[in-house]
Amino acid sequence: MSIIEIHNLHKTYTDTSVPVKAVNGINLSIKEGEFTAIVGPSGSGKTTLLNLLGGLDTPTEGDIFIGGMNIKNLTSRQLIDFRLHHIGFVFQSYNLIPVLTALENIAFIMELQGLKKLQRHEVAMKLIKKVGLEGKENFRPGELSGGQQQRVAVARALASRPKFILADEPTANLDSHATEELLNMMADLNKTENMTFIFSTHDKRVMDKARRIVTIDDGKVVY
Amino acid sequence: MKILFIMAWRNLWRNKRRTIITSASVVLSLVLALFMRSMQFGSYETMIKAGVNDVGNMQVHDTGFWENRTIDHAFFNDPALIETIQSQAGVTGILPHLESFVLASYGDKTKGVQLTGIDPAAEDRQMQLSKRIIEGKYLQPNQVGVVLGEKISEYLAIGVGDSLVVLGQGYEGTTAVGIFPVTGIAHFVSPQMNDLLVYINLEAMQHLIFPYRPGLLTSISVYTQNNDEDRVLANLQSTLGDHYEIISWKTMLSDMLQSIELDNVSGLVMLMILYIIVAFGIFSTVLMMTVERRRQFAVMISVGMQRHKLVAMSIFESGLIAILGITTGLIITTPILYYLYINPIPLSGEMAAMYESFNIEPVITFSIDKTIFIGQSLVVLLLAMLSALYPIIYIFRFNVLNALRQ
Repeated sequence: MSIIEIHNLHKTYTDTSVPVKAVNGINLSIKEGEFTAIVGPSGSGKTTLLNLLGGLDTPTEGDIFIGGMNIKNLTSRQLIDFRLHHIGFVFQSYNLIPVLTALENIAFIMELQGLKKLQRHEVAMKLIKKVGLEGKENFRPGELSGGQQQRVAVARALASRPKFILADEPTANLDSHATEELLNMMADLNKTENMTFIFSTHDKRVMDKARRIVTIDDGKVVY
Repeated sequence: MKILFIMAWRNLWRNKRRTIITSASVVLSLVLALFMRSMQFGSYETMIKAGVNDVGNMQVHDTGFWENRTIDHAFFNDPALIETIQSQAGVTGILPHLESFVLASYGDKTKGVQLTGIDPAAEDRQMQLSKRIIEGKYLQPNQVGVVLGEKISEYLAIGVGDSLVVLGQGYEGTTAVGIFPVTGIAHFVSPQMNDLLVYINLEAMQHLIFPYRPGLLTSISVYTQNNDEDRVLANLQSTLGDHYEIISWKTMLSDMLQSIELDNVSGLVMLMILYIIVAFGIFSTVLMMTVERRRQFAVMISVGMQRHKLVAMSIFESGLIAILGITTGLIITTPILYYLYINPIPLSGEMAAMYESFNIEPVITFSIDKTIFIGQSLVVLLLAMLSALYPIIYIFRFNVLNALRQ
């Protein structure tokens, strides 16, 4: 069953001296449980596509259906709420909240969702175990390595029980060992939890792990 | 909400030095503001207290006396009038006076003075006049004699036991002439009073001004509890208004109130300058905290945090800086101001002379009126909230994607 349907998606930036067609008529369908890597050279439109999928940017033309809902019709406020409940984000540079501990960073999303404290703590602890950071739950991001921070970021993305996780170049700042560990962990989550992952990457190691590769160039799906 | 508060608190301490410097600027300005206002209000309270003690909370006169203060506007005391005044709830005392400007002579010297007929015992209870006597004795009831201000005695070269000749206008065109032994010489705080005042027993004064009918008065000073002042004034005006004028101390001391108002305004201007500096201090911190966290704000919105919650966090941050500064400022200032309230600072030189010219003890008094503390703390809090306007506007308007790309 498709959880994401993209129809004739266009995004043109007009605030540049020459209009830039970052996404130029993409049609794409992503099924639940897919482990998809979106690849392509720099400037090909990978990040723009991910931003559009995450409702962080609005398309110039076309539609994005997530779980059957056209997110183009949502207001800015509704989009934030939609992201909170349906989309998990993993950023290239982790982007954890520096003043919160690992556990609090994970629980923070559930607090925004309105879950009770006990439940938040319980789920956050489970996720800490799942991403292999037992004993580090009270560490702040600054006290964790890049790989550990990215694991917390994955746990945070999972905390909202999203329909899928968008990861923009998640391994770009990690060494090969940390990359390997992170990819194994995400592949495991994909297998055991049937969690859908969509990456943008040019990392060969990520591509090797992906079960589906979507290559885009000049804003179009090449194959 | 709790997590937002926790985050705000921790955000402040991410840059300890900056937060401490900002809070210290709030503390310093609050301490300065509190000292300034406490000192100003303390002085005002002392001035007003001294003034009211001199003239009463209000005075009852013959209608027109306040505009045209001549002996022709004297009135005859009526037991019913006294009873009406004293029967008002909240009235703590009354002082009847008969006063007139007369010429006072001794030997070959003459001087214009204000001769005031008083009830010595009642006047002493209210004004502690007997404590002002530096030579001789204070007036005794039914004693014929006068108490002079120190400078009058010096000018006329008259001493205790000598006889003072007075000459002036009596009531209804009569001439008031008398000769009175000097029973005492008084030192008043105000040089003006030293140079002007002569006290005499009320009955003797009444006999001097109009010997044909006893009971002549120019004013009755009415003293009340502060809380009852307005009510007593209104009651007396409605009861006695047809025949008498009731003048509040605010009218009688209007010059002093104007000086106070002028001083207050200059104090407010100083405070405004001080607070503008503080506001910029808080604002610059808030500005830096906002600009350096643009990406963090963007991430938080990306993962599902509504902008208004970010706004709440920013308000908490500004509020916490202010509360931190206010609390520390109050902890530092309150005991010191309380000490100074109990132990006023004595003045000397020109400042002392200025105070004395208002018949006020030359000391710097401090007020511990809670409105000063509450008012200044609220101003600082308000400034912090105004500083929070920048992040509020920024958070509602900033572009998440642009911030993420940084």
